[in-house]
Amino acid sequence: MKHFLWKIGGEAGFGILTTGLVFSKIASRLGYYVFDFIQYPSLIRGGHNTYDVGFADKPVYSLKQDIDLLVCLNQETFTQHADRLSPDSLVLYDSSEFDCVGPYKKVSVPFKKILTDLKGQVVMKNTIALGATIALLGGDINILYDLLTSQFQKKGQNIVDFNKQFAQAGYDHIQSQYSAYIKNRLEKVDNQEGLVMSGNEVFSLGCVLADCKLYVAYPMTPSSSVLSVLADWQDKTGMLARHAEDEISVINTALGGSIAGVRSAVGTSGGGFALMVETVSFAGIAEIPLVIFLSQRPGPATGMPTWTEQGDLLFAVHAGHGEFPKIVLAPGDNDEMLDLTLAAFDLADIYQTPVIMLSDMLLSESHRSISKQKVQNLIKTHKVDRGKFVLEPDVVPYKRYKITDDGISPRLVPGAKEAYYQSNSYEHLEDGHTSEEAHVRINQIDKRARKMTAYLQKHFKGPIVLGDYKNADTVFITWGSTKGAVQEARKILDEDGIKTAQLHFTYLHPLDPQIITPFFKDKKRYIAVENNSRGQFEKLLSMELGIKIKEKILRYDGRPILAEDIINTLQKNNK
Amino acid sequence: MTPLHDFSGYKPTWCPGCGNWGIGVAIKAALIASGLTPSSVFISFGIGCSGNMNDFINAYASHGLHGRALPVAIGFKLANHKMKTIVVAGDGDFYGEGGNHFLHACRGNHDITVFVHDNRVYGLTTGQSAPTAQKGYKSKSTPGGIIEISVDPLSLAITQGATFVSQAFAGDTPHLIDLMTKAISHKGLSLVNILQPCVTFNKINTYAYYLSRTYKLSSEYKSDDRQLALQKASEVNEERFPLGILYKQDKKSYHEQVQVLSSGTLLDSKSSIDYTELMSDFE
Repeated sequence: MKHFLWKIGGEAGFGILTTGLVFSKIASRLGYYVFDFIQYPSLIRGGHNTYDVGFADKPVYSLKQDIDLLVCLNQETFTQHADRLSPDSLVLYDSSEFDCVGPYKKVSVPFKKILTDLKGQVVMKNTIALGATIALLGGDINILYDLLTSQFQKKGQNIVDFNKQFAQAGYDHIQSQYSAYIKNRLEKVDNQEGLVMSGNEVFSLGCVLADCKLYVAYPMTPSSSVLSVLADWQDKTGMLARHAEDEISVINTALGGSIAGVRSAVGTSGGGFALMVETVSFAGIAEIPLVIFLSQRPGPATGMPTWTEQGDLLFAVHAGHGEFPKIVLAPGDNDEMLDLTLAAFDLADIYQTPVIMLSDMLLSESHRSISKQKVQNLIKTHKVDRGKFVLEPDVVPYKRYKITDDGISPRLVPGAKEAYYQSNSYEHLEDGHTSEEAHVRINQIDKRARKMTAYLQKHFKGPIVLGDYKNADTVFITWGSTKGAVQEARKILDEDGIKTAQLHFTYLHPLDPQIITPFFKDKKRYIAVENNSRGQFEKLLSMELGIKIKEKILRYDGRPILAEDIINTLQKNNK
Repeated sequence: MTPLHDFSGYKPTWCPGCGNWGIGVAIKAALIASGLTPSSVFISFGIGCSGNMNDFINAYASHGLHGRALPVAIGFKLANHKMKTIVVAGDGDFYGEGGNHFLHACRGNHDITVFVHDNRVYGLTTGQSAPTAQKGYKSKSTPGGIIEISVDPLSLAITQGATFVSQAFAGDTPHLIDLMTKAISHKGLSLVNILQPCVTFNKINTYAYYLSRTYKLSSEYKSDDRQLALQKASEVNEERFPLGILYKQDKKSYHEQVQVLSSGTLLDSKSSIDYTELMSDFE
């Protein structure tokens, strides 16, 4: 079954975002894989919002250009997206409000009349549209009723019933007036159960699973929903979610918690992270574990707050003055988000240093299917690894920064009897006292550096190889959220007989030359695909490992890279 | 009782005659008087001459970044609210670089004791003017005299919600020990602003200056009267310095109002989570 794209648009502030998510859940409950995408300006009211929901009976890796069903709650939705319609596209609108000129399958639903007849509010247009959508796609209206019930049951049965009649009106209108257009696109399919989660929600769940006890943040799009999700869950999880006065306080508060011995994390976007950077360096020298969730958006400065970009990779890799160990990870989809979140907390504890989890708006805010079974298995099996975190001193006087072979010293929980120590941001002796002696400095620098040698040996993972790398002529290099678009593009290219493979990187810093360099020794066409203007990962490979990738496919208009972008650029470059 | 030398780390590197010597001894004496040991207290130090005390006092500690001692202490306290938590910082660090944290920590009434070494000058960077300097004070960074008026830390603390606001003089160690001990036993945010001569860089606010301008609040002074406390605090503008507890109030501290901390510390908590309920949001 082909990947189907449903898209709804309307004025900001009128429920588009809620409606889109409800449709994603409907598709998921019917056994489909979903991948949705929200487009909204940095406004609360008065702008134009749209919500794409792509679904298929096979995993959906990417967004899609061609719209199969466009729901126009206002005229702007039609005029802005008409170029993505084809003669087969269904266009749902109210012909009493505006006309949709063009060769499409036009479906007029009398939103205005239904609202007047049933005494509804403007926001209930969405519910009518959902009812009509389900009818057009041959779905089961009861699933929508279940979702409306859980959404409104707190307000009472009469509110539930009131809302249901709008869905029913939309559904009935299609059944009676447009039965010829009804397609069986939402029949129940037999797939394993999925959860519909945004990347931020997966990260939040990962924090809980990883036994993170303290999450501190200052709201910043597109990371904000992690704070609201974890704050909402506090009573159920026992985790403390704190909204501090600024990002500098945020990261220092989290470090305080980590010093005390609890797993701690912060979340932000580029601008907030910029404020945190001095403290990242403190965590580095004082060897304090910390997980930093950095969800990128287009900068510089305030940039384009509600859009997407992979523009902060080199900033993250180089963040912090002085030289100290730091690990940077980047998930490319929900599965990787969950696995890497669990890894991030372990690595922070094991190597007693900051770990940055890079996300972006596309990954953070889009909802995608994740296997319920996978989540349940992890809940059952995941065991946290706190490394050399100890409850009693190994020797007295205790040496917090003891020189060891792997550079990692036992980290004692403060409050342990017969001991004391300081987490020191000054260069220090093994026992933590400040020192400016040359040999002490060298010993401690080398000790901290050895932690990354150990990391490369024990925990670093090379690129995930997708496709038949050996026989591929073209190899795409991806990191983060561009993974999916390339997977989707490769499916199409493979059908055309072009042999492709993909090297997808999730462990971005530090990099191990012994593992990575061999991948670049062959005579293949290597192409870096990134959502930024300079090819930051390509630069990192060049800087760190001397690997030169000549070809790049970049997109930096704030929109995600699509499979179509990749194929079009490839064809253009071939000419 | 813990002997004083248990708390004694390295020999201090402060200038001879510096007010920090008296403060250093007073902190140790107050910790002992409070029944604490080096293993039962957490001190978050700022950066500056006062922060250098990290090496001179034995305790669980953080010597972090300039201006950021307070949020580190807040995080520590949230994770382990059973441990006594103290901040030691200078006036530039606490009222300048970290001013925002100060305001908001007062609002939260976090159960943290703060000892601010207020010498009205930046000592460790060799004598620039501090936010506490009197208007017109000439320094390396303000050769024409500082244009801003002095920050009024006690009024700020009172108006933003701190529940123990006091002032002491580094030259009167017994009084300082007494105030520090009371501040440590207070539940909520307690501030001791310690007037401290910098003998090397500040030739105006000397021991003699403070001896003639400080006075102790009388035994009849009512520390629960907010208006009176604000009047007393603002005397800083007339170069008069009341010593003692200006303002004290009993209110719940931050961690006492956090639901997830009601059954114990985050450090000790063992999670038993109903994931089915969490996941139902995503179905």
